Amino acid sequence: MLIERLVIGDPAAKELLYDRYAGALYGIVLQLVPVKERADEVIVKVFFWAFHHIAAFQTSGHRTLFAWLLRKTREFAIKEALPETALTGKELMKQEEGVLQQFYMILPADQQQVFRLSYFKGLSITTIARLLALPEEQINDILKDAMKSFRQFLKETWN
Amino acid sequence: MELKFYIESGIIESFVLGLASDEEVAELQHMRKLYPELDTEVEFVERRLERAAFDEPAMPPVEIRDRVLQKIRWEQGHAYSDPSSNYTFINIQPKDGDHITVHRWWKVFFIIFFIMSKVFLFLAIFYYLKYRLSQEQRSDNLHQMIRQEQTQSPLL
Repeated sequence: MLIERLVIGDPAAKELLYDRYAGALYGIVLQLVPVKERADEVIVKVFFWAFHHIAAFQTSGHRTLFAWLLRKTREFAIKEALPETALTGKELMKQEEGVLQQFYMILPADQQQVFRLSYFKGLSITTIARLLALPEEQINDILKDAMKSFRQFLKETWN
Repeated sequence: MELKFYIESGIIESFVLGLASDEEVAELQHMRKLYPELDTEVEFVERRLERAAFDEPAMPPVEIRDRVLQKIRWEQGHAYSDPSSNYTFINIQPKDGDHITVHRWWKVFFIIFFIMSKVFLFLAIFYYLKYRLSQEQRSDNLHQMIRQEQTQSPLL
């Protein structure tokens, strides 16, 4: 099994991990960091991190390596992302494509705003509440509604 | 029924995307212990998301793969090296046939060799010029002596 081989440090398993997941993760990274050089850097960091912390997968609560890698990918991507004011528009590559962007587009305006700030920008509920001048409970409810919609979206499209 | 309601709340999707708070994650883990079927539901959600991402992959540039794999090879090289050895190596790129691995002292040796070659080149030019200067002075002196002898000889 791939995980066991990764835990013992099998180089062929590491290559396999990269070949299997790099494409899918890169597609997501480009939705979060629309600057190619920074997206490349995120992928390198994610795989270096994964090779060194593979033992942590067992206790992460995730059932698939993809979800475990995706979670870390988002963390690195948020750190690498440029502020929107620094983007010129030329570097946007997959802003309108990809599963997360497709989901974002079908959300109502209030859920779009909260989901964008929470998932794409990595802001906490408290920060979002302050930014939007709304109570934290309301932000929590909006995000929960967005997650219900995400469940439906995934079930309907990729069940 | 309560479990169904819990699942339908989107908590699993929130956990998978990394948006659940620490309290929500702790609650989910507790619920998973109580209801092992939640593990299956987590796996379903993760697989759905995986399928969605695999539907639109974007391969990173080849050099990114090379960078990642080079690091694996480098670490592998270290893993199999003798840990008791005191040698330190500058690992250029092992095991691809086009590169070599040399001892750190070669770097010092080449720097000293380069500096010494420059010093010797400078000394060679310096002494050559000095030699030419002394030769010119000697020939000037010889010419002077001949001229002096020539000017003195008609008087004799």
